[in-house]
Amino acid sequence: METIISVKDLVNRFGKQVVHDGLCLDIRRDEILGVVGGSGSGKSVLMRSILGLQRPTSGTITVLGQKIEYHKPGPSRCWGVLFQAGALLSGLTVQENVELPIALYSDMPLETRHELASLKLLMTGLSLSVADKYPSELSGGMRKRVSLARALALEPKILFLDEPTAGLDPIAATEFDELITYLHDNLDLTIMMITHDVDSLFGICNRIAVLVDGGVVVGTQDEVLDSDHPWIRSYFGVPRALRARQAKRRPAYE
Amino acid sequence: MNSAFLNFESQPGRLIVNVKGSWVFDEVLALENATASVLPETGQLVAFQCAGLEEIDIAGAWVLYDRTEQLAVLGIKSEFTGFKAAHFKFLQNIIDAAAIRDYEEPPEYPVRPKRMRKAVENIGSHSAAVIEDLGEVARSVLEGARSPSLFMVGETIKQVYQTGVQAIPVVMVITFLIGIVTVHQAAGQLEKFGATVLVVDLVSISITREMGVLLAAIMVAGRSGSAFAAALGVMKLNEEVDAMRVMGLNPYQMLVVPRILGLMIALPILTIFADIAGIAGGALIAVGTMGISSLQFVERVAYGTDLTDFYVGLSKAPVFALLIASVGTLRGMQVKSSAEELGLKTTMAVVQSIFMIIVADALFAILFTRMGI
Repeated sequence: METIISVKDLVNRFGKQVVHDGLCLDIRRDEILGVVGGSGSGKSVLMRSILGLQRPTSGTITVLGQKIEYHKPGPSRCWGVLFQAGALLSGLTVQENVELPIALYSDMPLETRHELASLKLLMTGLSLSVADKYPSELSGGMRKRVSLARALALEPKILFLDEPTAGLDPIAATEFDELITYLHDNLDLTIMMITHDVDSLFGICNRIAVLVDGGVVVGTQDEVLDSDHPWIRSYFGVPRALRARQAKRRPAYE
Repeated sequence: MNSAFLNFESQPGRLIVNVKGSWVFDEVLALENATASVLPETGQLVAFQCAGLEEIDIAGAWVLYDRTEQLAVLGIKSEFTGFKAAHFKFLQNIIDAAAIRDYEEPPEYPVRPKRMRKAVENIGSHSAAVIEDLGEVARSVLEGARSPSLFMVGETIKQVYQTGVQAIPVVMVITFLIGIVTVHQAAGQLEKFGATVLVVDLVSISITREMGVLLAAIMVAGRSGSAFAAALGVMKLNEEVDAMRVMGLNPYQMLVVPRILGLMIALPILTIFADIAGIAGGALIAVGTMGISSLQFVERVAYGTDLTDFYVGLSKAPVFALLIASVGTLRGMQVKSSAEELGLKTTMAVVQSIFMIIVADALFAILFTRMGI
């Protein structure tokens, strides 16, 4: 099993508060890894550290064999990020938002750029009638789709999703889950997804990483469910998690 | 024409195209050139053989797909063999799904009338919005005056501190420098008439009547007008203003009124400091380099400058403050959707308040002249 992202002995400390204390995590090729944890357990800090947006107190992170350094250009060609609120550039239209990374990293003619951007919008299930709108004119769900289209613009190998279904209604959330599964199955994507949505956690994730006590408990759905850590037991013991567990399961990627 | 990506083999009725290499995003330009050279004769079937393909992504697949679509329009069929990746089917699915949703071209209006109409509409709606906002501010002030809340008082004091007290050093430094410059410039001219001592009158009158208050106001417009617009704008974007409304609080009363009142208290105070620093700057040069004794300087100031001059300058301060604060806060409250708009409104707040200060100053000059002060 090839490791795409490797986090070794990550320590993140803010004053006296220790968020990560020697955290080690490997993300494998072609898997969807769900990351869960209580508030303040450092889910976002972990993702930001991997993306080079946060200077870890210590520890090394490698993505696709490249060492990540704070605020240095990482393998930005190879990853796409869906931020929680979308983070679309508000001064640009939907089309321009998706075209921006393409324009930055290639010298293709305008027309091709335009076609590829439209294709990415279609891929995320948007209609081209939104192309000339500004992000502020879109609903939350559409904004997430546009943001996903932008994340996919450069044919990334890794996709980071920060609570992709937060703030969406159950129908839109289910559609978004299906979309991610569909893209994952068709595009050889490795996905790291922070989520609190137990339905998507059990519905689409191959493995689950639970951040507890400054470290991580990672494994297949069954392995994590069998864990006897008290926080994990209570997290997966609440009624909504139990219901989601009984629904569709996805096996670990072999 | 063979290339790094395509190899051709023409057979009767068939053009065999061997697809090879990496068909990926980085190569799109080269791929487009390569596929453009797929030129079958009429009636030929294009057979793409993809066994030699090393890598393909969506962008690469799109280029190939696009070419087959173009050929299909010309009535030329294409077939694929040895495809490993599922990309093509994936593309087909997307395109099919897209075809179901109709894309309606927006109806085109003639440009000019639309623009004209929009401009007129904008003027109308903007004026209406400004009048409404001003009305709401006035009502909030009156309501606040009837039942002053502790929060408002505290907030107003905070604003006096932030916009006034914290601005004292910078305002004093610039007026001090302007005092120096005024004396320096005037001295040369007045010397020709042997009236060097009159620089004292010149600097004290010009600083107290005009320069002190004007410089303080412009400084405050740049410093606090922009801060007001930006702070309220971000609060609008974060829905803080909406949160206040649903809690039954009047955002104008909580946010706008304290800023306006605070600045109306702060700017007169700043003006006094500006006047002192300006005259001090003048004194430095006059006494230091022009041989006017300090006693003489004080005497000239007392003799030549009326307290009226000081009051004339000071009386403008609350008016300027009202202009700066209301323009800043109202522009901030107009922010609706985006960060871009926030920047625009902040710029507008500063530019318009400085513009209005200068216009108001000109009106004051006419008014005071008519009144004979």
